[in-house]
Amino acid sequence: MATVLAGNGAAAWGFRLSRVQCYPYYPITPSTACSEQISRWVHDGAMEAVTINAESEHSAASQIIAAGKSVRAGTATSSKGLLYMIEVLENAAGGGVPCGLFLGNRATGAPINIWADNSDAYAMRDSGVIQIFAADGQETLDSIIQGYRIAENLRVRLPFAVNLRGFTGTHAYEGVEIPRPEEVNRYLPPFVSLHPLFAPEKPVTYGAMLSAYPYRRHKRNQMAALSNACEITLKAGQEFAEKFGRSYGHFEWIGDKKADLVVALLGESASAGEVATRHLQGKKGIPGVALLKIRLFSPFPAKEIAQALHRAGTKALVVLDEGLHHGGVLPPLAQRLTTAIQLYLGGKGPKVASVIGGLGGSEVRQEHFQLMFNLADNIAEGNPYRPEPYWLDIEEDPIFVERENQVSPKLWRKWGEVWKKQQRKEKFCSPIPPDTNEIRIYSRAGQGAITSAVGFTGAGIQNGYQLLTVPAFGSERRGAIITTDTLLNFHNERRIRSFMRAWDVVILYDDTILYSPEHQVLDGLKEGGALLVNTSHLSVKKIREILNVGQKKVRVLTVPAEAVSERLGLKHINMAMLGALHKVYDKVPFEPAQGYYEKNVPRPREKSLEAIRLGFSETSDREIQRTRKESRLTVSQEFRDWRPEDHSQESWPSALEEVQLG
Amino acid sequence: MKEKQQILVSLNRHKEFVVTGPFVEMRERQGSSGPEKREPTESDKGKFLHPPEILTIEEVAQKPIDGLDTPKVLNAMADIGPEARLFVYRPEGKVTRHEIFEDPRVCLEIQRGAVIENLREKPKDVSGWRTHDFFIDIKGCLGDECGRCAIVCPENAIHLMGKGKGSFHEIDPLACKGCFICWVECVRTAADCILVDGKTFDPGMRAKHFGE
Repeated sequence: MATVLAGNGAAAWGFRLSRVQCYPYYPITPSTACSEQISRWVHDGAMEAVTINAESEHSAASQIIAAGKSVRAGTATSSKGLLYMIEVLENAAGGGVPCGLFLGNRATGAPINIWADNSDAYAMRDSGVIQIFAADGQETLDSIIQGYRIAENLRVRLPFAVNLRGFTGTHAYEGVEIPRPEEVNRYLPPFVSLHPLFAPEKPVTYGAMLSAYPYRRHKRNQMAALSNACEITLKAGQEFAEKFGRSYGHFEWIGDKKADLVVALLGESASAGEVATRHLQGKKGIPGVALLKIRLFSPFPAKEIAQALHRAGTKALVVLDEGLHHGGVLPPLAQRLTTAIQLYLGGKGPKVASVIGGLGGSEVRQEHFQLMFNLADNIAEGNPYRPEPYWLDIEEDPIFVERENQVSPKLWRKWGEVWKKQQRKEKFCSPIPPDTNEIRIYSRAGQGAITSAVGFTGAGIQNGYQLLTVPAFGSERRGAIITTDTLLNFHNERRIRSFMRAWDVVILYDDTILYSPEHQVLDGLKEGGALLVNTSHLSVKKIREILNVGQKKVRVLTVPAEAVSERLGLKHINMAMLGALHKVYDKVPFEPAQGYYEKNVPRPREKSLEAIRLGFSETSDREIQRTRKESRLTVSQEFRDWRPEDHSQESWPSALEEVQLG
Repeated sequence: MKEKQQILVSLNRHKEFVVTGPFVEMRERQGSSGPEKREPTESDKGKFLHPPEILTIEEVAQKPIDGLDTPKVLNAMADIGPEARLFVYRPEGKVTRHEIFEDPRVCLEIQRGAVIENLREKPKDVSGWRTHDFFIDIKGCLGDECGRCAIVCPENAIHLMGKGKGSFHEIDPLACKGCFICWVECVRTAADCILVDGKTFDPGMRAKHFGE
């Protein structure tokens, strides 16, 4: 039975099931929630561990090393926090201390950016840590358990890090199977330290100073142990599959067995790639296509990957890196793959092109993968291509050029000849028909939209569907307009984690959002889709007028959620909106979902349940003639009073005057 | 005329040292009931971890392990070869876990993780570091009643010889680097105990050495 967990929650469960005994941490976005969850469990007594509020990531890393000498230890971090840890993490690797890290991958700046890319993971690649890239919450949970198994293997004894893309991974709520603790205990035996501190029978010194002669020998041993991790990862994954039914290896090959065109990448962005690959598979005029989703990045399974490419008869490989190479010839993944191909396949290997994308939270979307497959096809045909990386989503430097004057003239002088021979092919770029149902919520931060979307996700999962909720996170403060997206997939045989951005339902938690010039709420709404507005005074007709819906086939519904919540004495409207969502979108039936809500709604339970029921019954698309009394909760009134998106710089002088008046 | 008596400053909790002229007398410290022997309690047991053993094929062959099917283990180890190791964990004398694995090391004389097993350190000749020779005169040494020099020696170069009355300390000339710490810390202010280049305590030498 799957439980709704965000990526961070899944990581926390990974540590909990691995029976981590010491968990020092210093919070950093986007991996904070993992540490918060663990310290809550430890406080409640659900987990027997020591948590330490470290004064910095440097201390947290030092503490996992100190603890890892005697007990099982772990921590979570991201971005600059990881960079601050790297100085110490080399000691973990050199000292042979098997501790674990969960990394919510995030850009490292400057400029400051809190969103996802692999820069932090790439920065740590020379610190001797085993690096595993997970693509979703489930894989994160499983990989942490396997990580301890690999790290504590007597032939390895090294630290490991499980990476998950920030926000789209760490903050995406989805169904995660939590294995039973007894089964995990059988898979992962208790920690035994090889050289414990505090063992009076055999006192030891860790990390002694070594001069050149023993130092180089020590490093030789360390490298031998790290390369063993390659083989052990495969074994640990197989044993995991036997016990839990989910198999993991060095990499995942998605698509055709014989694939001329392959796109390789790390981690979560593969979900969009999977959709694009399945769309292109078997299309007329398109050779075999496959996605190479690499799971083990360090130690790099070079031989295995080269063999897989050889078996598939790959002619062109496009490598997507979500990070930079900073003076290197190619970005890290592309560089590792090129070396692997050169070493093991020599001239017979596929041609490799590198693409940089997904930086600082940029989405890598299905269209991008279509472009990359197109590029691979051109390369396979023998067209010239750039020896330096291509970039995604940069108009001045696109992969394919339609018009010469659209690109940077400087680049045209350099790559014009190559660009002229690279053609965009329609067969690769055909639009992907939406296969899923998607719901978008526009709300103001603080209104509880995430809570209701996660509740809806839970109810859907309990009814046997695959759901995914990805809230938008960022620099918003309370009262700003944010979006929360939910994806419903009715093909249970395969997971889909990638949004098509074609909404079946759009929900406005606040009718003032209708007036926001920056949010065109009808954008992306499907033909025949529904728009649900929480309003107590606007009629359906008025809303149609405001949005200029015209003859478009859009159902518009309203629900007086504020009035419902006010009547029940609730502070938030989210429960009423949850009920209303069921009325608008009936593919997740309301009656069976109630059973889930009865167990899981936030307190006060009775009132919340009543709000869900009232929200469901009071939603309508009928024109109501009687004028409703405008009803507003205090929270909403605050939002209404201060709507930053309406304010321009001119509104500030009044504040200045107040300052001057003292 | 009775000579002036002086009690030496000492870390010894049970005995005290009284100096009368050139003689030192040792007696029970007042209010002390002698060293108490404490049996390890239950709570002590959890405080310490038990190191596992890692054995080579020869070690297993020489000393069979209770609770393990030794021939089977040996066969499995022989399959791996000379690099085979047996990991045995027996926290309370009973084997709770064992595993046969191939030693990942390439250079076998170096422990993984730059770990040094402190008691197995091989002695090294560091006498070349010294500029002076240090020697403990057994006539002045208080033996096992004091032991301060042995505690403070950073090189573990000072060892107690003998037991009880007549015991004395000795400096290992191979291990002593000549750091002067014992000489400074000696409870007898090195009066006639630690000799440097054959000389006893000498304010001139001290001033020269410490720049006083």
